[in-house]
Amino acid sequence: MSLLQVRDVSKHFGKLVAVDGVSLTVEPGELRAVIGPNGAGKTTFFNLVSGFFPPTRGSIVFDGRDITSLSEHRRVRLGMARTFQVTEIFPELTVRENLRVPVEVAAGRRLSPWLTKAADAGIRARVGELMEMGGIADKADRLVGELSHGDQRATEIMMSLALNPRLLLLDEPTAGMGDQETYNITRLIRRLHRDQKQSIVLIEHDMRVIFHLADRIMVLAEGAVLAEGTPDEIAADERVQAAYLGKAA
Amino acid sequence: MTQLILFNVFNGLVVGAFYALMALGLSLILNLSGVINFAHGGFLALGAYLAYTLMPYTGFWGALVVAPVLTAVIGLAIERVLIRPLYGRDPLYSLLLTFGLAYVLEDGARFIWGAQSVPYPIPASLTTPLSTEFFFLTGYRLFMVALVAVAVLGLFFILNRTRLGIRIRAGTLDLETVSVLGVNVRVLRNLNFGLGIYLAGLAGVLAAGMLGLQPTIGTSLIMPSFVAIIVGGLGSLPGTLLGGLLIGVASGLTTVFLPSATEAVIYVMMGLVLLVRPRGLLGEEGRTQ
Amino acid sequence: MSALRQQVPNAVVWLVLLTMPYWMGAVGGYTELASRVVVLGLAAMALNFLLGFTGVLSFGHAAYFGLGAYGVGMTIKYLVPSTPLGILVGAAVGTLAAMVIGALIVKLRGVYFAMVTIAFGQVFFFIAFRWNEVTGGDDGLTGWKRQALDLGFTRVDILGSDKAFYYLVLAVFAACVAAMALLLRSPFGRTLIAIRENERRARFLGIPVEQHIWLSFVISCFFVSIAGTLYALLSNFTDPRALRWDQSGNFVIMAVLGGMRSFWGPLIGAAIFVVLQDYVSSQTENWMSVIGVFFMLVVLFFPRGVLGILRRRLAS
Repeated sequence: MSLLQVRDVSKHFGKLVAVDGVSLTVEPGELRAVIGPNGAGKTTFFNLVSGFFPPTRGSIVFDGRDITSLSEHRRVRLGMARTFQVTEIFPELTVRENLRVPVEVAAGRRLSPWLTKAADAGIRARVGELMEMGGIADKADRLVGELSHGDQRATEIMMSLALNPRLLLLDEPTAGMGDQETYNITRLIRRLHRDQKQSIVLIEHDMRVIFHLADRIMVLAEGAVLAEGTPDEIAADERVQAAYLGKAA
Repeated sequence: MTQLILFNVFNGLVVGAFYALMALGLSLILNLSGVINFAHGGFLALGAYLAYTLMPYTGFWGALVVAPVLTAVIGLAIERVLIRPLYGRDPLYSLLLTFGLAYVLEDGARFIWGAQSVPYPIPASLTTPLSTEFFFLTGYRLFMVALVAVAVLGLFFILNRTRLGIRIRAGTLDLETVSVLGVNVRVLRNLNFGLGIYLAGLAGVLAAGMLGLQPTIGTSLIMPSFVAIIVGGLGSLPGTLLGGLLIGVASGLTTVFLPSATEAVIYVMMGLVLLVRPRGLLGEEGRTQ
Repeated sequence: MSALRQQVPNAVVWLVLLTMPYWMGAVGGYTELASRVVVLGLAAMALNFLLGFTGVLSFGHAAYFGLGAYGVGMTIKYLVPSTPLGILVGAAVGTLAAMVIGALIVKLRGVYFAMVTIAFGQVFFFIAFRWNEVTGGDDGLTGWKRQALDLGFTRVDILGSDKAFYYLVLAVFAACVAAMALLLRSPFGRTLIAIRENERRARFLGIPVEQHIWLSFVISCFFVSIAGTLYALLSNFTDPRALRWDQSGNFVIMAVLGGMRSFWGPLIGAAIFVVLQDYVSSQTENWMSVIGVFFMLVVLFFPRGVLGILRRRLAS
């Protein structure tokens, strides 16, 4: 069964049609990229999938269950986690504290007024493991707000991963980064995908990143699907080239 | 009975007009600058006392013209000195500051004009009932409703037809863009504040003739004005107007049937509105944040 | 070392609180003033549970404070002459009201939340003001006194001895403060801080933000209504001013003045505010102006509060 099935969703803001009849199917273990020129509706599409706002039309099925009208935190509980284009973290908390929150939520502890010693040890261990995986263990006790952009992004990705998601949605994870940071984040995403069979949907601008990582690519333009296929097919697609290079082609 | 109901509905309408006038000023400031002006009632009292002081020299009509303007000028100065440094900070701070300012204005009025209510003469031409059957239809009440209506129309004219008003409305929607387009946001906020205070001052000059003038006059009107904004709809000026009139009439009617609940009824209304429609009757989507 | 350093402020606070009745007279105060500091300190700390640690601004906490005050007074006057039972009833009444009103307002944020809390606070003011036969109306609820504590093996005369009452207040304060500290260090407490830091992130980490804010609001109001019961017991009296909007403003300024990002800050703010108010109102009729100017000065020049400034000094 497909992990995610988005069926013909649209989103209207007043008269503006931001997303127009987009469908997408993601299989378990797949890494799917969504690309498109600025204003193509990529982030709006993500917001629909993650429950930031409801679609005007269409339906979204996650793991066989219709989640179209489910609130964002319920989607998270079903196994969907996301990051944002502009990093969303807890700036005045340390890396360790940032990760501790989702680890406790994932452990079903969000309402607990206390923890047993054993439970506390388990949570600490999981936080340590995530920091290792994300390459941020050496900054465990620094405030996240003081870290570099790349480390903030790594923290955000690991926070999402702490929820043990079945599907991870990444909105331009390398936006605004230098080459070295882009490389580090790309490597992290690839490790998650290859080694842990993590299912990922990724919005990206950087073509190097996309063609390096993605199993399949969906191209959006003006709110609608322009093309879909493997990286090679997309690279060869004339309509895609036209959309990116101008109407001339 | 019919007459009693009519009397109270009309009375409620008059009071509601004050709530609306006050709430419109509060809304203007809240929508553009994100400041809850707790001192709005203090400015209302200030307007009324200034009119009271001016009256021996200018008469009622002169005071009606001059006092609100003077109040607005004082408002402009206070915004410039005390409130401007707080824009962009947690709204908690502007709320606390205007809260302190409300204390100072109320106590200042008490210090200058005394704690007791002062006689507030209105022209005899306005006090005679127009009809013996409907004794409550005094010229003053009709005059107040008419003047509030004119003020509201004037406000909507300014907002829709003048450059300042259009900028205020645009700034309410997206301040950043407006500032990028070259509008001086500081000046805009200052003038907008002054406009709101003008309305408070005008409400004060009128309300004192009906409610009597003592230092706490503003405090008793500000809470219903908050309710008017919430009921009418966050971010919507027509909503605020509607909210003010609605709660005025509602509490007027309640006076007939359950006098002890006259004040409480508007909060019950607020609760119901929040339950059914958190953004208020005419509120814009997403304005609850 | 750092653990020790963290314990020093706690030790200082408790030492000061435990000995306060014994030196208050020497510095020109009196035991009742000490009790007032602790009671309003508890109220400000309770407010700060919501304001400083969840990032939600309530400007209507006096309502629940006042409900606690009327709850204890009316229980002793009309139902059972028992101080502990009165405190329980007062706390229950305040908390219940908070549960209902909280449910109506959790969707609102920022200034709108603040505005609605202000407005709702007025409902209880008008009830207390209007319902003459039961509440005493504007004159306040009189004709009752706090009752001696019967501990089984001994009776503590908290009515006759100001000192004995002070230590009852301090004991309740200690229990409440310990509970709040425990909650703030728990997984639940961390979700509140997460909401304060970044609501959107918290939401997308699977935290139902409205539910958590509601809980925080109710917990905060529970403790503030306990403070309200103590406040009424302190003077064997309560009146509608206990639940009026200006009292709410006082709680907020206490929290800000002391430092709303620190646990003990609001207590320090309360101490400064209570002593100042006591002094000013004995000196001038225009104490409102002085307090008002004080509000403005705090906002303009000490927005971080005493402990916030202290912490900055230490850090640099």
